[in-house]
Amino acid sequence: MAITEAHAGRSYPPTAPYVVSAAKIAEFAAAIKDLNPAYAGPEPIAPPTFVVVISSAAWQAMFDDPDLDLALRRVVHADQRFDYRRPLRTGDTVTARLTINKVRARGAADIISSSVEVETVAGELVCTASATFLHSHEPAA
Amino acid sequence: MSGLTTADVEVGTQLPPLTVHLTRADLVRYAGASTDFNPIHYSERFAAQVGLPDVVAHGMLTMAGALRVVTDWVGDPARVTSYFARFTRPVVVPDDDTGAEVRFSAAVTAVDGDLVTIGIDAVSAAVKVLGAARAEVDLGPRG
Repeated sequence: MAITEAHAGRSYPPTAPYVVSAAKIAEFAAAIKDLNPAYAGPEPIAPPTFVVVISSAAWQAMFDDPDLDLALRRVVHADQRFDYRRPLRTGDTVTARLTINKVRARGAADIISSSVEVETVAGELVCTASATFLHSHEPAA
Repeated sequence: MSGLTTADVEVGTQLPPLTVHLTRADLVRYAGASTDFNPIHYSERFAAQVGLPDVVAHGMLTMAGALRVVTDWVGDPARVTSYFARFTRPVVVPDDDTGAEVRFSAAVTAVDGDLVTIGIDAVSAAVKVLGAARAEVDLGPRG
């Protein structure tokens, strides 16, 4: 099978709960070379783009879906949007749930619009991470 | 923290620019921190197989750098309410000590009450690497 427009609306179960830690925030802030004091100390908030640490687990569920037959080597991350209700903080326990919003065929590629809702285990929406992926078709042999 | 309010900004207000260098070591570090281990970010062989000129930076790493222009200016990153970027061109990272240079510049493009929209440009090797990048920040009073 391959991904088609009919896969719009498909969603995946929430990812396993992820506990945001001061150590991981510090590691991520160092990796993006961001010395903002809000990311340091005993009770830091996470950098806004830290959300990818959590959303990438949800993307993986889609990439691994055998019905879609996606190949990571043919996937390009085309754009990314984040809508924040609040920052992630140390001690938040969150899950990520991916929905495929739309699939469009364009030439030799499919354009996949997806959104990931990052929620605390108590059900509070923290951030929605919306991504567009381009998936190019296998070249004809 | 910055005491920036909407009284300090208008459409066209420029933010202090920022230049970052990304080396192969930075990509390895970001791969581990972000858990994005796509080999195009560390293997020349794999990058060539998928038609890239060389190892390229994670789009999300460039996006993170671009947002620093905004959060350095606004002070408190919790004021960011939304952020968008299109990954138009890859940042090619050579295997040397200097790496790739990415220059970020930004300006206020809209003010709507306490909500301020900032457009960000990101340029590496004379090409724009992010498209339509924009962040919204809430400069309203904080309780």
